[in-house]
Amino acid sequence: MGEEEEGGGGKETKKSSENGKGSTEENQQEEEHVLKFLDSMDSYLVLMESLSSTLRQGWLELASARHSMGTSRVNGALFDLKYHSAATSLEINHDDAGSMTEQPHFMLCKWESPTNQKCCPGESKFEEDDLLWRKSNNQQLRHRGSSQYSEIQETRPESDGSPPTVDTQVQKERSKSLSMFGTLVSPKLRAAQLSFETALETLVEVANMRSSILCAYDQVQKELDST
Amino acid sequence: MPISSTIMSSILYSGPETTAKQIEDAFKEFTARENIAIVLISQYVANMIRFLVDSYNMPIPAILEIPSKDQPYDPAHDSVLSRVKYLFSSESVASGRR
Repeated sequence: MGEEEEGGGGKETKKSSENGKGSTEENQQEEEHVLKFLDSMDSYLVLMESLSSTLRQGWLELASARHSMGTSRVNGALFDLKYHSAATSLEINHDDAGSMTEQPHFMLCKWESPTNQKCCPGESKFEEDDLLWRKSNNQQLRHRGSSQYSEIQETRPESDGSPPTVDTQVQKERSKSLSMFGTLVSPKLRAAQLSFETALETLVEVANMRSSILCAYDQVQKELDST
Repeated sequence: MPISSTIMSSILYSGPETTAKQIEDAFKEFTARENIAIVLISQYVANMIRFLVDSYNMPIPAILEIPSKDQPYDPAHDSVLSRVKYLFSSESVASGRR
């Protein structure tokens, strides 16, 4: 009889330790959700700050371009108000964060054309744009018959492995979108274009971070309601 | 040249004469369309229809409040962060109960 009591006591001990492990794992999971939520919030705030700064820079460059080219050449009246196919589009993938939640993931596809199917994830390529932005802001004499961007293409190392024809196509698309302002445009206008492109990439990152916050918020809220 | 409020397929220019009702109608239209993934709205325009923006809780299209040239971004008015503040205040209440 003593042995049975000991056996019963042994089973209870085992059960309580299993419950302890389960609650520890639950606590750990809760903490992970809270951490994910706080990280997402922090990233969201940082991205919004970056977006504000990039937009401010773009507006300043646009104002400079308007000052140098004249208000008649940089004006909303130049828009033809016709329907155009989108040069940049957005793709949405649904990530299954869990069985209950579905988190959308936004991806920007920049400068789409039949020959240039280029999709960038939310993490944008700042290096190329940053290099172009720096070059356009340098105080250099412009040479007639050659653009700053063709010089940049020649000097940039091809370390990323992307074919030069794709970059040429992207530059052509950029020039095409600026063609409504005339053939020769101010470098400030090109810089403004790059700034707003960067802002667009940041916006996609903000959208992804927003969905991450809302997903983590739902998980934390469920855990709070269950306690 | 004053900017008048016109709806150009997927853009609404909001000017001095744009009413809250027009903004509200455009917001409802853009959020109902299937070919729109992200709705960008200047924060000062979002403040005019704050009740509608805060009550929106669908994942797609995502509503992003952005700064405008004249009005900087204010995190205190952001709808996503407002929801977060509510969570923090409820958390402090819950910890008090324990």
